[in-house]
Amino acid sequence: MEIIQGILIIALAFWMVLDQQGFVITTWFPAIIGMIAGIIMGDMTTAMIIAGTFQLMALGVANIGGSSVPNYGLATLVGIYVAIRTTHDVEHAKAVALAVGVPVGMLGIQLDVLGKLLNSYVSHAAQKALNLGKFKKMERIFWLGPLIFGLTTALPTALCVLFGDKLVRLILDVVPKWFTDGLSIAGSMLPVVGIALLLQFMPVKKYLTMLLIGFVVSAYLKLPILGIAILGFAFAYYYFTQNMKKTPAAATAGAASTDALDEGDDFDE
Amino acid sequence: MSEKTSDAVTKKDVRKAAIRYMFMACNTFNYENQQAPAVVYGLSKVLRKIHKKDEDYKASLNNHFNYFNTTTWMANLLLGASVAMEEKDGIKSKDAVQAFKTGMMGPLAGIGDTLVWVLYPTIMGSIAGYMGLQGNPTGAIIWLLLNVFFFFFRVELFDLGHTSGLKLITALGDKLNVFTEAASIMGLTVIGALIPSVVKMTIPIAFKTGKVSLPIQTEILDKIMPALLPAVLTFVVYKLLASKKFSVTQIIFMVIGLALVCSFFGILGV
Repeated sequence: MEIIQGILIIALAFWMVLDQQGFVITTWFPAIIGMIAGIIMGDMTTAMIIAGTFQLMALGVANIGGSSVPNYGLATLVGIYVAIRTTHDVEHAKAVALAVGVPVGMLGIQLDVLGKLLNSYVSHAAQKALNLGKFKKMERIFWLGPLIFGLTTALPTALCVLFGDKLVRLILDVVPKWFTDGLSIAGSMLPVVGIALLLQFMPVKKYLTMLLIGFVVSAYLKLPILGIAILGFAFAYYYFTQNMKKTPAAATAGAASTDALDEGDDFDE
Repeated sequence: MSEKTSDAVTKKDVRKAAIRYMFMACNTFNYENQQAPAVVYGLSKVLRKIHKKDEDYKASLNNHFNYFNTTTWMANLLLGASVAMEEKDGIKSKDAVQAFKTGMMGPLAGIGDTLVWVLYPTIMGSIAGYMGLQGNPTGAIIWLLLNVFFFFFRVELFDLGHTSGLKLITALGDKLNVFTEAASIMGLTVIGALIPSVVKMTIPIAFKTGKVSLPIQTEILDKIMPALLPAVLTFVVYKLLASKKFSVTQIIFMVIGLALVCSFFGILGV
């Protein structure tokens, strides 16, 4: 029974990252992961209390724009497993889950950065296979992507299931702190590449005003992103209604596409 | 047309493409072309039906290997319409497809990320997390069921993009430009806000003279401008990319190298 539970927990760890980044059904949000882990471990109440704690910690932590965030789902899963294995007292279980889960979840940042780096090579290899006309091979190469990401969560989970939390702590102890810190820092700097790439394709020069407004409202006024989105929508709505009146709807789709292409060149210089 | 250059694309092919893309979405995510491999994987089967000639097929897929990144839920609409474009004009549509995808992905990412990754998980997370604290899984179950509903909704979105994406574009004509511009306005506002909230850099050093300690980050940098370092970094990376002197991979390794060196000397902190 314990072996089956261990295997199911590792399988769930493998699946949850793939689902979060793909189908978005079970996700890796603590509440849902905790519920499934509760079913596996046969202790829904303890599992949900731990999951609820992590879920509220994770609120507002969104991995958007290619950013790496602490994996609270991984923290929840490992926390629930170790806690239910070691104690039957709910308050004690919560403490154990936090003590084990948080460092593992933090390790998730480094592994996520590593996974995204490795996937550059997957993309290159697949494109090479395509240009050689090996279409079947290309399809197979793509599957390395999910495999890598699945392992980024399944491996730490497997280590925790097999050795408890000691090994994770050992790894975090052996690797120099400046190195793990450095990777965490890189993880919080790298979204800049995605943002800068996205900006290459957008009319930045034309609408620099909007970029600045968004920045100021977020950096100085600390308005949550949703409020800023509504503000952005207000500007967009105004522009849209004002211009819809003027524009005659005579042009063709072809003209619209070339316009978009011209713009692309404009701010690409 | 004298010879048959493509097979008819059925509804089943479109659904299959939708599900293939939705599975892969960010599972081949890399810092270089981001979601592009997933787009290629998703569309590879349906495009093979459209492009019978190997050369056309290669050209089309190579086109889809170009940088692509938007909210995956929104991408379905774009990719559905892209398939329809290639179906209609074959490989000639390549540039139009690329222009359409890059024109729409930024604005849609700004809107989509807020809705899908900020608003939805915040609301459901608060409810499910609060119920969870009392040992109650109901909130989590509701969240899961909503996700299942959205899954099918997204498949429909791909279908909608395929059947009416083009019609929509043709009908809107010039108005589409107004829409793209309006969406860019909203997108850029959100991206402007993303820079200080997603990119994080902190200098933990403090000047010490006698008993007086002057932390650089809170007392100097933040006084000049909050999120000064992320703003500078964004500008530098933007310019490096625009100069085309370095590949994206090189820039990524530069950022990682910088982070490791700064961490070693304690210039940047977590």
